[in-house]
Amino acid sequence: MSKVNTVLGQIPAEELGLVAVHEHIGYGMPGSELDTKWWKTPEQRYEETVPKLRRFHELGGGTFVDATGICNGRDVDYYKSLSAKTGVHIVACTGFVGGDTALPHFARADVDYLTRQFVHEITVGIGGTGSLAGVIKVGVSRGGRMTDLDKRIYRAAARASLTTGVPILTHLAIDAENAIAIFDEEGLPLDRVLFGHVDDGVNADRTRDVWIAEQGGRIGFDTFGYETELPDPPFWARPRQERLDHFLRFIGDGRLHQVLASADANCSPLGWPGVKGHTVNYIFEDLIPDLRAAGLDEAAIKTIFVDNPADFLTLRKPA
Amino acid sequence: MSVESNTVNTVLGPVAAEDLGVVSVHEALLSVVPGAEYAYDVTLDRAEIFETLAAGLKDFRAHGGGTIVDSTGMFHGRDVRLYEALSRTTGVHIVASTGQGPEEMLGGYFLTPQTDPPTPWPAEKFADLFTREVTEGMVVPRVERRGAAGLVATAATREGMTATDESLFRGAARTALSTGVALSVRYGSDALHDLDVVLDEKLPADRVVVGGLDRKDAVAAGAPLGIARRGAYVALDHVGTRDDAHLTDDERAALVAELVRAGFGDRILLSSNATGVAKGHPGNDLPYSYVLTTFVPLLKARGLGDEDTRRILVENPRALLSAR
Repeated sequence: MSKVNTVLGQIPAEELGLVAVHEHIGYGMPGSELDTKWWKTPEQRYEETVPKLRRFHELGGGTFVDATGICNGRDVDYYKSLSAKTGVHIVACTGFVGGDTALPHFARADVDYLTRQFVHEITVGIGGTGSLAGVIKVGVSRGGRMTDLDKRIYRAAARASLTTGVPILTHLAIDAENAIAIFDEEGLPLDRVLFGHVDDGVNADRTRDVWIAEQGGRIGFDTFGYETELPDPPFWARPRQERLDHFLRFIGDGRLHQVLASADANCSPLGWPGVKGHTVNYIFEDLIPDLRAAGLDEAAIKTIFVDNPADFLTLRKPA
Repeated sequence: MSVESNTVNTVLGPVAAEDLGVVSVHEALLSVVPGAEYAYDVTLDRAEIFETLAAGLKDFRAHGGGTIVDSTGMFHGRDVRLYEALSRTTGVHIVASTGQGPEEMLGGYFLTPQTDPPTPWPAEKFADLFTREVTEGMVVPRVERRGAAGLVATAATREGMTATDESLFRGAARTALSTGVALSVRYGSDALHDLDVVLDEKLPADRVVVGGLDRKDAVAAGAPLGIARRGAYVALDHVGTRDDAHLTDDERAALVAELVRAGFGDRILLSSNATGVAKGHPGNDLPYSYVLTTFVPLLKARGLGDEDTRRILVENPRALLSAR
């Protein structure tokens, strides 16, 4: 039986449908909740979020994977209500976006403690919600190199993944040699890891996407839509055509089964202004049309958005 | 300066300074290491927390205590609505604080913001964040503002003040200067240096309390006397702590007597840094009444009179906390 953990319970992977594999209901750096500059009423949050999820559903979207880490405003009770009211499956994560988003309690913790935290959230539940995490988020701190804390988090994630069968999704794929060394030491097959943001405007040039794929990792082109053509692009934006060409070149080399794609958009950002006009629905409104125009057939599109994420998200039999 | 105009911001609103009674300036009510609220092995049972804290506050009051200052700042478990209910229930005045620190205790929002490069917050942004907790009210994160903070508190890294610690100190000093609330600082490795940072912001020394001056290294360096000479308040705020880093109570009592003899009886503050309820760390499990029940007799044995103890326990904190 193929199972995936969603915030409303386990579902068969066959039911996931089209998956947006790296998204955010709302992301904020830890501490941003203290700054009233970003506060919004619950009415406003639902108003900003529900229409985007409903449109995602209407356009054929099945599942929204929320990659918001433990201290970044992850709010599972809220996700449950959004999922129940819009019909979109939502997968929540355990883990951290990067060591620099782990608050002191976790920043001081050793690998064993972090492993227990992740395993608990995957097998018992996240806080008091009863919902099980369906992916483990890890990432590289600002600065471009893995910190000691990043490495402890990666190692704990590998152990939790082996114990529970839940896959790992990374924020940034730079410094991948260190990441892969840790996963290898822990004996984690690299097809359980999605190395994300290989297409990001700041890091694409120094991300060894082909090398990671050769080692067996999955590759995430998952910042689609953060384009320099936007009226007010974020610093990680990239020219639209350049990103698309990068993606097409990559899958053209016979790596279609190793890629996943997503938009990394915020429905309603928590601690930053967000990027106006950029939503998860970029996948339907821009990306899929661009892929068709570039000659991809429906089977290839289904591979990228349905089959690959289903294989990735399905709980593996624990080692 | 009119005596009647002096008020102190408590969680239930402004209170006349002369109504504070015996004040403990450096204590913690609910103390949560940032992030522990998300930990799989930490539970936060509000009813249980309330019961424990209420018992501690009632005991403090029963021994003559009037006001507890929760000096843990805005990001270490502060729960303003819980403190309001505790104050109403126990009759103890509760002064809650704004501020944060040291650097290690900050969230990534302040240290690695989503800018390129990720430059840590400068002093003026911390000043604005803290000031608005006094002028507009303390935050219940992403929900609402409540009453005004009565103190701004910050701390430096134990190994020595970092650049971000300095921004916190300068920002907190600017808040104290613009709002009139007092500033509490816990120094890192050099008390005089760290005090001088806030004095450099033109904050009068008598608006500042320096905590941790019963630490052995500070005493060895002569810091308690040095801080008093600068005109700031000297907090011997680990009364009851038995560890390698701090004086014993006997040594602490001797230090109080020495400061009084040197003419600095009006600069001394006593507190225990007790932790009412600790989550994510062991805490410091002493009763808030410890200074009154156990330490005051030691002071008397050292020859301090009732007038001295009253000055230290009532008048000094009153002067410090009175908003200017």
